[in-house]
Amino acid sequence: MTELEPSQSKWLDREKNGGLCPVQFMKRVRAWWGQERVFRLVPFVLVESIFLFFLAVPFAMTIYISFLKWRANRPFEAAYFKWFVNYKQVLTEPAFWEALGRTFYFAGVAVTLELTIGFFMAMFVHKVVRGRRFYITVFLIPMMVVPVVVGYNFSMIFIDSGPLNQMLAPFLEMFGINPRIRWLSHPVAAQWSLILADVWQWTSLTFLIFLSGFSALPQQLLNAARVMGANRWQIFWRVQLPLLKPAIIVAVVIRCMEALKLFDQAVLLTFGGPGAATETVAFFLWRQVWMFNKYSFGAAASVLLLIFFSGLIYFGIYLLVRQRAIVSQESL
Amino acid sequence: MESLSPKSVKVSFFRRYKLRRLLRHGVLIVWAIVLLFPIFWMVQTSFKDAGEWVSWPPHWLPHEPTVHNYRQIFAFGASGFDEKLSREATEQAFNIWDSLKDSAIIASLSSLVALVLGSFLSYSISRFGVGGKNFRYIILTIRMVPPIVIAIPIVMYYAILIPHVTQAIFGMRVSLFDTYVGLGMLYMATALPFVIWMMLSFIEEVPYTLEHAARLMGAGRIYTLRRVVLPLVAPGMVVTFLFIFILNWSEFLLALTLTQPDVTTLPVLLNKFQSAVEGRLYGPQAAIGTVITLPVVVMGVLIQKHLVKGFTFGMIRK
Repeated sequence: MTELEPSQSKWLDREKNGGLCPVQFMKRVRAWWGQERVFRLVPFVLVESIFLFFLAVPFAMTIYISFLKWRANRPFEAAYFKWFVNYKQVLTEPAFWEALGRTFYFAGVAVTLELTIGFFMAMFVHKVVRGRRFYITVFLIPMMVVPVVVGYNFSMIFIDSGPLNQMLAPFLEMFGINPRIRWLSHPVAAQWSLILADVWQWTSLTFLIFLSGFSALPQQLLNAARVMGANRWQIFWRVQLPLLKPAIIVAVVIRCMEALKLFDQAVLLTFGGPGAATETVAFFLWRQVWMFNKYSFGAAASVLLLIFFSGLIYFGIYLLVRQRAIVSQESL
Repeated sequence: MESLSPKSVKVSFFRRYKLRRLLRHGVLIVWAIVLLFPIFWMVQTSFKDAGEWVSWPPHWLPHEPTVHNYRQIFAFGASGFDEKLSREATEQAFNIWDSLKDSAIIASLSSLVALVLGSFLSYSISRFGVGGKNFRYIILTIRMVPPIVIAIPIVMYYAILIPHVTQAIFGMRVSLFDTYVGLGMLYMATALPFVIWMMLSFIEEVPYTLEHAARLMGAGRIYTLRRVVLPLVAPGMVVTFLFIFILNWSEFLLALTLTQPDVTTLPVLLNKFQSAVEGRLYGPQAAIGTVITLPVVVMGVLIQKHLVKGFTFGMIRK
């Protein structure tokens, strides 16, 4: 063994570097990191600090701002306390309540349609043997399409010289109606086009959930029911549907939560119009804050929305937790 | 009595069975056509020239197919304004390269960091019970909050608090508004619940006895993680990465509210054309839509077995 070069020994000797040479230091770091109490807490602290600095602190600041009188076209230093005036403004604003009601209406109709169509498609695909893979692949494509692109696609279909009008033209001309209808300029039709776009995209998800529910059904139970003389309807209502309950609950909760966030298609397809016919609550607030600069109004509204939604979220998660517990008990 | 002879019973049974099967296939094919039609319409519009975009009656296939729209958005052979690409309705070559770069960088980096952090955290939740029994459900609430409720606080946070605090501490105003970091951090925060839930369902499938054996034989904690756990959950990590990449790639609300004009992701760019002053440009829009959708659909088809697990937070497994 030859002697180490002075330059090398500097890195390895403890004495020469004030007791902290890099190699020793790395060893110490590794020993520290290998300890269980550190090891288990490092990822926790990192993730929690992201949540703290990017969700909790901003939200605390929002509560503060919601008590101020401030519009973004003035400097922040000019803001002054107005306490609950913003909250009162939000709660007495009819457009806010209308937007909220509209959001729930859209979500209710869309989720009902998605569940029904998804359920039947899953039932059919479950029985199909040949072409099963093809159907599954095609049916899940809409889920991946970017929501903005979905909005664009449907705006192309619903314009006055779009394919929908062309297909309807023979019937409409029979009654002497001009077939070039502007669907998106009529309040009710615009609402329905928004709902249809949502149904088009998210039926895939309910379909997938129900399909995995159907394929998890225990075959012995169905056979037993059949042997005991149950007919198709009885098997469906008394055996299959109760067994599918967890899948149905998961689908309802997750789809409702997503449908209440509706924003992308409202911007792309109708831009809230005509009038305010398709203004969802997200769109309404976006317009108030980013177009009219009513920041303190927006802050108060988002605090109220969070309070309002937290009940729903709590209920949804409660349902999911209960289902999960039941499922894991059964699988044991 | 004829109808009870074995042969006729068999035939009628077969017929009924066949009819039902045909009906089923009919319904499924109609639904498949409904699902594919809007995508087909977008793709064929992207190959139409300006005169055909909104012709009446609409052409189901472009009569004169052209790649002009794609040349326009990618600005091939042009830097900014190009004589060849200029046209009455569309005066310029729209360059989507910048947005493509922004989208790719933000989506991939934030997904990657969220994947690493979330995987570690879900490992410690699963093995050590970090954060208590209900920690995973607390994390789930973050995903359920509507994004507008996150966006309004964040925009004020980026506009007021962060510049003020950095001014006080470092002596210079740092604004996270309209930057990669600002948007990326939020994408990370909103993707983390998905990562944690998906990775939990993958990690819980790895038997603890394996790690226990490795530990008994004298392997360190990090070594065990790298050589025993990682190879087993690596496929799951790839699936999770692709899944959150799809989500981040298509996110619109946060990108619309927290960026522009410097950082513009692709969905925001598409929205810009929707409200163009000189009339909507259906052709380039369709081309952009096709370009955005294609990679994501390919990824989705690759991970189609696990998609349902992702969207339902691993509550439904196949």
